[in-house]
Order: sequence, then C-alpha cells, then structure tokens
Amino acid sequence: MGSDLDEQIEQLKRCEPISEEQVKRLCLKAREILIEEANVQHIDSPVTICGDIHGQFFDLMELFSVGGFLVETFLLLLLALKVRYPERMTLIRGNHESRQITQVYGFYDECQRKYGGSNVWRWCCEVFDYLALGAIVDGRVFGVHGGLSPNLHSIDQIRTIDRKQEVPHDGPMCDLLWSDPDDIQGWGLSPRGAGYLFGADITKQFAHTNALDLIARAHQLAMEGYKLMFDRTIVTVWSAPNYCYRCGNVASILELDEHLGQEYKVFSHAPLDVRSVPAKRPPADYFL
Amino acid sequence: MQSSQDADSSIRLTDTDAALARFSAVQKGYLQDPYIKPFVPRSHLQPPRPPLINIGTFVRATAIDDLVFQWLQTSTNHGTRCQIVSLGAGSDTRFWRIATGAHKDALAAYVEMDFPEITTKKGMAIRKSKELSAVLGDPADVAVAHGGTGLSSPKYHLLPADLRLPPKETLGKVLASGSSPILSPTLPTLLLFECVLVYMSPAESSAVLQWFRDYFSPDGSGVLGSIVYEMFRLQDSFGRVMVQNLKARQVSLPGAAPYPDIASLPGRYLNLGFTSAHALTLKEIRKSYISPAELERISQLELMDEIEELDLVLDHYAITWGLFVPQSASFGAEWGEWGLRVKVAAQAVNSEE
Repeated sequence: MGSDLDEQIEQLKRCEPISEEQVKRLCLKAREILIEEANVQHIDSPVTICGDIHGQFFDLMELFSVGGFLVETFLLLLLALKVRYPERMTLIRGNHESRQITQVYGFYDECQRKYGGSNVWRWCCEVFDYLALGAIVDGRVFGVHGGLSPNLHSIDQIRTIDRKQEVPHDGPMCDLLWSDPDDIQGWGLSPRGAGYLFGADITKQFAHTNALDLIARAHQLAMEGYKLMFDRTIVTVWSAPNYCYRCGNVASILELDEHLGQEYKVFSHAPLDVRSVPAKRPPADYFL
Repeated sequence: MQSSQDADSSIRLTDTDAALARFSAVQKGYLQDPYIKPFVPRSHLQPPRPPLINIGTFVRATAIDDLVFQWLQTSTNHGTRCQIVSLGAGSDTRFWRIATGAHKDALAAYVEMDFPEITTKKGMAIRKSKELSAVLGDPADVAVAHGGTGLSSPKYHLLPADLRLPPKETLGKVLASGSSPILSPTLPTLLLFECVLVYMSPAESSAVLQWFRDYFSPDGSGVLGSIVYEMFRLQDSFGRVMVQNLKARQVSLPGAAPYPDIASLPGRYLNLGFTSAHALTLKEIRKSYISPAELERISQLELMDEIEELDLVLDHYAITWGLFVPQSASFGAEWGEWGLRVKVAAQAVNSEE
C-alpha cells in the first residue's frame, strides 16, 4: 500500500478527494493499526501536541503552506498519515469523533454530498471507535481531549475501559472526552450536558496520584491559543485560529522537548483579507 | 451612488437573515410563532440555522418579549392604552402576536417603519395571507397606503421611511401631522430598534431618538420607552472579525463605533435627556434573566457543544432600554420598574473565592 498511500496523501494535500474504494481500504487499515494501540498510548518525547482543529486545515497548514481543506478531506489525510507513519503520530479521540456529533456539525452531510451516500461517514465512525482515549508522554504528561472523570482516579483505570464503541452519554469514557477544568472546588455539572467540571483540587490530586507534570487537553476555545490553569498542572491547547472564521482567536501547538520543556507556538489565522478565505467555506453566522 | 445603493440592498437583506433565523428557531421548537411563515419565502426549502444561532435568537426574542409584555402590562394596570413603534421592523411578527394575545386591548396603535422596498414586500405578504390580514380587522377598514408601500388599519400602520433622513421629514410628516395623528403624544409609547441603528451613523440614530424624545414633552403626560438590540464591542478581536466578515457582504456597522463596552451603551439615551437607561449583554441575559425552566427546556432541543463560542458571540450583542418619564406623568414610579429582572438566584457554586 506504501506508494499508493503516498499518492493518496499527495492527492489529499492538494484537496482532491480520493475514491470511495480508497477510503474503505484506508479506514480498514487505520482500524488494524488503532486496534493494537492502548487506551492510553505511550509516547516518547520530543513531541508536538495539537488541540482542536475543527477541519480548519487551511489554517494549520499555514505552517506548512498548504491550503483549502474541508473536514472530510482533512480527516482522511490525518488517517492516511497515521497509516503511513503509525509510530510518528498518535490520534486520540475527541467528543466530536462520534456518530451523534458528526451528524449535528456537518461531517455527515459533507460525506453525503461528496460520495452520494453514507458509507464514508460510516467507515470513518468505525475508525473513531478504535481511537485511543489518551496518551502519555514519558510517563509524565497526560494528553486527553476533555478532562477528568469522578470515576477515574488513575491512568491504570483508564486502561481497563472497553473503548471500542460509540461515545456513551455518560460514564468515564464520556467524561474523558467531554469534561472541562473550571474555577470551582471539586466536581460540578457541565453546561455542555455531558462530562463534568473539575476544580484545581481534583486536578492536582490526579496529577499527584499519577506522578504527572502536566495534563494537556483541548476541547475549549482559548482566545490566546492556550491557557494554563491551576499552577500549571493543566493546559488547554486550542489549534483552530479564528475558529469558525468568526471568533478572532489565535491558536497554538505545544512542543515538548526531550526534557519535557514546554514551548507554546502561537499562530493566527491567515491575514484578514477576504480574498484569502477559501471559497468553499460557509459564511460566518451573526444575528443581523 | 451605485455603491451606496448596493450597501442599502445589503442592509435590507439582513432582514431576510433575521426572518430565517426566527423561522429556524420556531421550527426547532425554541419559540412559538404562528405568523412568521408567511414572511419567509420558500420556507419549506430553508435549512435550519446552527444551534448557536437558534439559542441566540431565542435569548434575544425572549428578553425583548419580556420588556414589551411588561410595557403592555403596566399600561393595562393603569387603565391606559399604549403605542408601539417598531423602527426598521422588517418582517417582525410582534404586532400579530400582541393583537391575538392577552394584552390585545392595551394596544392603541402599532406602527412599523422600514425601507419602502421592505414595507412593499411586507404589505403584499400580509394581504396574501388570510391569517395575517384577519388580525388587522374588518377588510373595509384596511387600506393600501403610500402608493402601495404602506398599509393602514385601525391599529396597525405600515409606513415606508428611510430613517437616515431628517426625522422631521420621515417621522414628523407621517406620525405627527394632522388633527388626529397616528401617534398620540400623551399615551405611553414604546420604540423598538432591533438591529437597526447599528447600520446608521451615530448622528442619524441620535436624531431619530431625539425626535421622539421631543414629541413627548417634559410637561406632557406621555411616557416614552425604547429598546435597542444590536451588536457592540466591535473593537476587540471578535468584533474586528465580525466587521471584516460583514464587510464582505457589503454590510457596515457605523452605529457601533461609540459603544466599545457595556458601560457606554446607556449613554445613547442618557445623553438625550432620558430619565433612566440600562444595558445587558445577551450573555448576561442568558445566564440570569431567562427563567431556568425555559433554559432547561431549550437545552433539550438540540445538541449544543460550543459553549465558549456561544458566550463569545452573545457577549457582543446587547439589549439597551431607556425610559423618559415627564415630571407630570402619573404613575411615574411604577414605570420606573420597567426593565429586565434577574430570574435565577445567584449560584453559590461559582461564587468568587
């Protein structure tokens, strides 16, 4: 599959779709790789940690000067890169990697439009079910999409979850993908309707119990690209600049060097020039 | 000239946007409004708006309904009828909802003004719809006015106007002339500006407010209230992106310039001699000024994950209400109670430490 795959990667980078048959094979291959991964993947430093991108590949690729991607193309490219370089890239599941959310936020419709059916969406969702729930760098930096769960006190407990399923509406797996740190004591109800809010005490206890320097998570828009909280025990890394072409935020990626030194690379949206905006993006919504 | 005409048509298109947003919120169960459909062309083909927009539309509509309801209620309590003037009304359905609701008898006159292109379209939609025209009263009392750009009926008046022109011409001639003008200077009168003034220069919108303020003289008995809903705080990074994005649609927002923060908003009334004025962002309103039962109900309607973005968007829209009570007005103190009220107890969980 090697040279075929390289060709597909090049195609996807040019924002050209690959065939339905190619998608099917890619998804099968991705599943084969992901099924071997642990719920919490071990990673060695140095590593770059990236947060929510929400299909704004145009912006992230600013860094690599590539342009104009849609969610679906972008996801397939990520999968293709994962299949091509399984050891060099770790994908962890976010709350949007679910059947329910992809139907609300456009991915399902996009697959329908481009492939005239729901096969591609279905295969992708089957891949989502195999994505790892977290990653741990040198045993000291824990990466997860959302946050902590009142039902999980140790990383070892996360390893016992049967993750190969649709994201449940509640319970530990749901919490890992949905929870948010907040300036409260203990646990609180989440305004998102799933997961929990957790305070500094909970965060520090979890870091202490599991001998962690840092919990790196995404899930929340951070206007400055990243947000350190609770005496730097947890950070939100947000990688979609000017989110939805509306929010005016900057984005960041977190680079951890071989000593786990943290460097936040902040980047912004392509210049606010109307001509530079990809033609296919939907106009940002306002109340008028 | 060509370019300013293009800009005007872009502003007029914002009404289509508002009607679609309202229609979407109704379809999804956020709001009830049996009258919006006739104003939405090809309504069956319109895709719903995103959850964030539906929620914002709900918050805005609920809070303005609350203020208007209180206005009608206060009038009823004092045994007086009141008037409502909706400026830049577009395809708003408020008249029909009031005229078929609990406070229909409190209404002496309901006036809607907008660009003639919009009032012409609206007049046609009203006449085409049995449900809408039935509410106006006996067909013999309903007349097409202003060469087809307006409608008049016993209570409801649809009038063409470019609000940027000198108010003496646009407002004075149609509202205040003759022996029995459409607008009485002695009845409690509520002005509505929903996303209108922001498209005009600050001087033009001040002139409009000033005209009404002068019509209700300090030694008269007519109480004047006004509600402005629109975007503000456009100087920060979210605001700058909004300005850029709307510029791409040929929509500019000159009216937002004097209002970089929430504290600056009441000034739009206080500088013109209004008695009191208050402003709240939609973010604050959603948090504390909507009944928890309603918030709970709408939270079940659609999956809404983008909490931070919702707060960010809602933090750039505000409802600003102002009141002018002449010294000789009766029940002045009770009119002073008019305003949005906190509907949730302060939450202990999130209190400052």
